[in-house]
Amino acid sequence: MSDDLVKILEGNTFVVSDARGDIEASLTDPTGLFSFDTRFLSRWVLTVDGQRLTALSTDDLQYFEARFFLVPGTGTVYVDAKLSVIRQRAVGDGFHEELTLLNHDENAVDLEVRVEAASDFADLFEVKDALQKKGAYYSRVEGDRLVLGYERETFNRETWVSATSACKVDESGLTFKAHVDPHGEWTTDLHVVTASVAWGETRDKPKYERHAKHARPNQERSLEKWVDDAPTLQCDWDWLKMIYTRSLIDLAALRFSPRTSGGLSLPAAGLPWFMTMFGRDSIFTSLQALPFTPELAATTLRELGERQGSRRDDFRDEDPGRILHEMRYGEMTAFEERPHSPYYGSVDATPLYVVLLDEYERWTGDAKLVRELEYEARAALAWIDDYANLMGDGYIWYQRRNEKTGLENQCWKDSWDSISYHDGTLPGFPRATCELQGYAYDAKVRGARLARLVWKDAAFADKLEKEAADLKRRFNRDFWVEEGGYFALARDTDGRRVDALASNNGHLLWSGIVDKSKAGSVARHLMGPRLYSGWGVRTLAEGEGRYNPIGYHVGTVWPFDNSIAAWGLRRYGFKEEAARIAAGILDAANFFAGRLPEAFGGYPRAITKYPVQYPTSCSPQAWSTGAPLLLLRTMLGLEPIDGHLIVDPVLPEGIGRLELLDIPGRWGRVDAFGRGRVDADKKPRERQHLGVLDHDKRPRPRGKKK
Amino acid sequence: MSDPTKQFFDDLAARGHVPLLKSSSGTLRFDLVGGGRTAHWYVTIRKGDVSVTHDIVEADCVVRTGKELFDRMAAGTANATAAALRGLIAPQGDLSLIIQFQRLFPGPPADCADRSEAGYARRAT
Repeated sequence: MSDDLVKILEGNTFVVSDARGDIEASLTDPTGLFSFDTRFLSRWVLTVDGQRLTALSTDDLQYFEARFFLVPGTGTVYVDAKLSVIRQRAVGDGFHEELTLLNHDENAVDLEVRVEAASDFADLFEVKDALQKKGAYYSRVEGDRLVLGYERETFNRETWVSATSACKVDESGLTFKAHVDPHGEWTTDLHVVTASVAWGETRDKPKYERHAKHARPNQERSLEKWVDDAPTLQCDWDWLKMIYTRSLIDLAALRFSPRTSGGLSLPAAGLPWFMTMFGRDSIFTSLQALPFTPELAATTLRELGERQGSRRDDFRDEDPGRILHEMRYGEMTAFEERPHSPYYGSVDATPLYVVLLDEYERWTGDAKLVRELEYEARAALAWIDDYANLMGDGYIWYQRRNEKTGLENQCWKDSWDSISYHDGTLPGFPRATCELQGYAYDAKVRGARLARLVWKDAAFADKLEKEAADLKRRFNRDFWVEEGGYFALARDTDGRRVDALASNNGHLLWSGIVDKSKAGSVARHLMGPRLYSGWGVRTLAEGEGRYNPIGYHVGTVWPFDNSIAAWGLRRYGFKEEAARIAAGILDAANFFAGRLPEAFGGYPRAITKYPVQYPTSCSPQAWSTGAPLLLLRTMLGLEPIDGHLIVDPVLPEGIGRLELLDIPGRWGRVDAFGRGRVDADKKPRERQHLGVLDHDKRPRPRGKKK
Repeated sequence: MSDPTKQFFDDLAARGHVPLLKSSSGTLRFDLVGGGRTAHWYVTIRKGDVSVTHDIVEADCVVRTGKELFDRMAAGTANATAAALRGLIAPQGDLSLIIQFQRLFPGPPADCADRSEAGYARRAT
């Protein structure tokens, strides 16, 4: 099972192996060495004297490095304690593996060490969908190097395997004659190079030299420096420090440097299958991480801007001004069997691009970037009116033009049944989901601020503000479900409200599109028993036709979604409610050892006592990793206003003291402090759960007291 | 006989300023191979100001590809990124320049045509 797999990565290159370090992939099996969405090794098996090895232990040293302690023999039958084998592997433009044999005997030994290598060069999409290859394989020995290759017309990918010690190379592997002295050791370095990856790039040597002390990714920005540069957290609730550190390290692992970025990084969407540029995920994660690592936002804005849509292309769902959804580099993308070159099928990334640009400026004061990206921001704003306005009524709508391989739902809830009426039926297309209108409103308001402040275009600012006000007025009329007191999930083409109650209401608060008079009712729904599980806000409310506590977007709790809801609640002054959201999600993070999954079950907390993880292969997920960061911001009430950082803390019960030191921004570095209430009767170790108190303290019906 | 490549570069030269390339600066050299010869086009971009020439200048990014493929990209019937992933375009140097530049190629002609059809966004309000 996937739990036994060892995963290491750097950027979009990663290795998934078993606990021995071996790879034996089939077309459908997700192990191997992957880079740029192609599998470069599907077989990598070590034997000593023809015998497989057994893992004694495996260390994930860093996210890019692992060490395997092995002994010859398999299973419980026989273990030769006279010999140990250590494999130490670091990933980067392929991988580097130090192989060491230790002889514990008083006699010398002569051993045959063999490494079998092969590759199926599967596209990630093929691994996910089990498709067959159309090209031809080759394998040849070039001097002391084994070359594995795949060719389809002009598409060519190669893997090179070599070693630093003398060995016999054949078309399926390397064989060593190892002489190991009494109590001595024998060692060699194995180099695996992903020699041609994409855009005609070729590599001829491994990234890392011998000995792992050189094996560091993003040389100018090591992991230690990354963590050191981020604000320091102090808290009397110890678990928060663990969660914070986990988030920072996982965020480091999720960094992805496109070849155009000059080594700078943006957050990829998830590890390992989504280590690529995603418009929506990269933007949301950059927003969440702004108070901690603002440079991620800058790179996201630049790189997405560089690839902003410029023409109509139905296959890619591309329009001028549209921000991309997903970029891929594999064979199926190359041959246009998939549209990801890049694919533009999301409608939220474009308004959110403007939102991020403004939020970034508010934190950093980097007006230079705002000037640099003026064209891109204006094109994004124009796209909202010119291309997303499919029904001509001023709302953002979506309907894919690529009906074969495009995405049906182009909002963040992109599964097939995510958008439904209260009775569970699904609306037709196009669809206008509510949160999109909020993002459009916010993009216009923020775009107006940038126009006035940086682009010095007051007329444009006036126009945007007028449009925003008009959109807000119409939205509060057209999407409001009067009898329920919340905003409908979407609007259909007949102008009917798609009237299910969903977590999207939290995003609406965040965007600011909600009339003040309606905010109280929306907040009550978010914190009410139909949406709030005790751990967090469910994607879809209990009692809706399609509600399912383990349905992907129809009842599970998404940490990212909740972090946005908490931000929204703060925006409208619901500080205690925002703190309650933080409490539940942080409690859940604690259960998951600091690493929040993409989603977990929507079961009521009172029933399950622990959050039930939604089965998914992708962990960590960028915007789940970012959720605790945004929750720190909302708990401390951090808000950049007029060049200053405002701190207005409201902490969940159970956190008595919270300090975030050296918060970077236009102010240089400042500290934020928060004080909260704790139950003084309980020792710190007894206060493991922040959110559970809410259930215990609910007023009990009178007369049932003993 | 129509030459979509020449047409494309002529149009580009006539535009003079391309806002889409506002944040780009540098020189691209296109080596277009076909009919037994290699034609060289130089495009120099200075913050969106574009000049096109055959004169030899130092290039920041050299893009070698087939003339026939370039014709199709210039006409909107081939996609540059997919072609590059297939190994048909070999860019060297500043990759950012070609990624920005390829956005000037039009989309498929049929997809651009339906812009004016009913059900599509009304621009004027």
